[in-house]
Amino acid sequence: MNDEAKGQTADRGQQQFTQKTMGSSDAGLLMGMVAPGIRSAAWAGGSDKPEKSTVNIGFIPLTDCASVAMAAVKGFDRKYGLTITPSRQASWAAVRDKLASGELDASHVLYGLVYGVQMGVGGPQKDMAVLMTLSNNGQGITLANHFKGKGVTDGASLAKLIGARSRHEPGDPGRGGAYTFAQTFPTGTHAMWLYYWLAAHGIDPLAQTRLITVPPPQMVANMRAASMDGFCVGEPWNARAIQDGIGFTAATSQDIWADHPEKVLGTTREFAERYPNTARAMIMALLEASRYVDTLSHRTEVAEVIAGRAYIDTDPGTIEDRMLGRYSDGLGRTWRDRHFMKFCDDGRVNFPYLSDGMWFLTQHRRWGLLKQDPDYRSVASGVNQIKLYREAAAQVRVPLPETEMRSSTLIDGVVWDGSDPKAYAGGFAIHA
Amino acid sequence: MAALKILLVEHEIGRLAPLKAALDSQGYRVEASEHARLLHDHVMQFEPDVVIVGVDSPDRDTLEGLCVMNQDCPRPVVMFSGDGDPQAIRAAIQAGVVSYVVDGVDPARIRPVLDVAIAQFQAYRALHENLAHVRRELQESKLISQAKSRLMRELGLSEPEAYHRMRRHAMKQQQRIAQVAERIATAGRLDFLA
Repeated sequence: MNDEAKGQTADRGQQQFTQKTMGSSDAGLLMGMVAPGIRSAAWAGGSDKPEKSTVNIGFIPLTDCASVAMAAVKGFDRKYGLTITPSRQASWAAVRDKLASGELDASHVLYGLVYGVQMGVGGPQKDMAVLMTLSNNGQGITLANHFKGKGVTDGASLAKLIGARSRHEPGDPGRGGAYTFAQTFPTGTHAMWLYYWLAAHGIDPLAQTRLITVPPPQMVANMRAASMDGFCVGEPWNARAIQDGIGFTAATSQDIWADHPEKVLGTTREFAERYPNTARAMIMALLEASRYVDTLSHRTEVAEVIAGRAYIDTDPGTIEDRMLGRYSDGLGRTWRDRHFMKFCDDGRVNFPYLSDGMWFLTQHRRWGLLKQDPDYRSVASGVNQIKLYREAAAQVRVPLPETEMRSSTLIDGVVWDGSDPKAYAGGFAIHA
Repeated sequence: MAALKILLVEHEIGRLAPLKAALDSQGYRVEASEHARLLHDHVMQFEPDVVIVGVDSPDRDTLEGLCVMNQDCPRPVVMFSGDGDPQAIRAAIQAGVVSYVVDGVDPARIRPVLDVAIAQFQAYRALHENLAHVRRELQESKLISQAKSRLMRELGLSEPEAYHRMRRHAMKQQQRIAQVAERIATAGRLDFLA
């Protein structure tokens, strides 16, 4: 392990965030009042006026679209000379295509999807950009209620059941009579959480289950129609499955990786290069919105806004509980989750860590979506716009970490710190 | 040459039916799939050469999943591919249609299919926009007459006076008259008109 990585292993604690935050959003407010000429001194030359002042930002109806919604609703966009139009999308495929065509300037998007497009997995390659991370945690794995009768409540008992089935069906690798699990996009985060979780319990997702892709808002309806046995999706849809009496939460995504990266503000490399001031202004507006949403006393208001028809179109109560860390699993257990959905956490959420981006590449490699090892570090350095992020974060006084990697221990006890991605990707017993 | 097998995927059957009829009449083998949960099996069993789907259909992700996980399933070639005709791509997106085509199918055979799809989607969209416009106008004139009668009743104005009052307020507030009418019709008190 190199020195940089060692420094990271300690903990994503306060010591990495040397710059003290000013209380609440006062900092941003102050910055907003400083003359633009002075503000622009932070980056070399020219005006910081957004080259493009009206931006369409896509989102999918999910709790973690909150910062995009609130940036527009609360007027954080106008503070930075922008008008953000949140634009609801029906599928991740549409998000990808509209980013590529320029119909969307940026989007709330799955971390892994951005890297999938960068690598040309399942479609044309396009150079992409991650401007910032929008959220950590708050996804989950739901199993259908029929599993209760089979003694399945978690990953271990599911593995026992699936293992037993495979043994009783010689010659059948499992696909024929296999259980069907859905995720939201083949290269996306939910596919990776689901596969990681299954594999951590000894289940080979590709060989022992039938995998399908279903957009988030359709998950619950599809499980109700009995065509699916489990799914991995963002909230509020796991909470909704419990509420509708069709499934239970077998694991949260934070069980798999506490404080994992989830959605990012994604755009194309071309956009980031052509409109750097707009990109920076978007980051600033979204950082302020993230900070707003992360203040727990605001979350009831936020839940009400995003529950509206223009956003998620559901009952605010379905969103609010898990947004505040109040979890129940539908099997009788309730708990306060320390690693509930976070949007800012003094910038720990938002920094586009190279190790976060690289992790998705290692999993794409693991599951055969990438046929060869890419140059992990150089791909991530190209995609994650750390320079733009640093400039924007400094302007709105969001603390910056000292290093571009972070270290985490995942559910199977394996440590990921970005130091040797090739060995990490190749080190899993269960893989494609 | 065997007829191309086309699978149409759409939630709104109204949007699907004319396209299916048009493609049927061109001699293609066409099936329609309305439900996401069945789409997976439908693609596997019917083995279409081309899948046509609305740009804004949530089922697109299910198709993406199929494309990535199964090499022999429909693959997107029309949109954003370097070798695609940019005009055709733009037209397809504007019309609200995407097509997914199995590898190895002659692009020349796809083009007329797409042309029909684009024309049908455009016709459908125009019809719906027109309908929405008519509905909106109807709704607005209802609001205006509600607001007018409230002004006549509560402020003792004549009909032309009531209309004039609304129009003046709308101009002052830089709002459309229908917006003002809605506020008048739904507000508890009318103080804001003063």
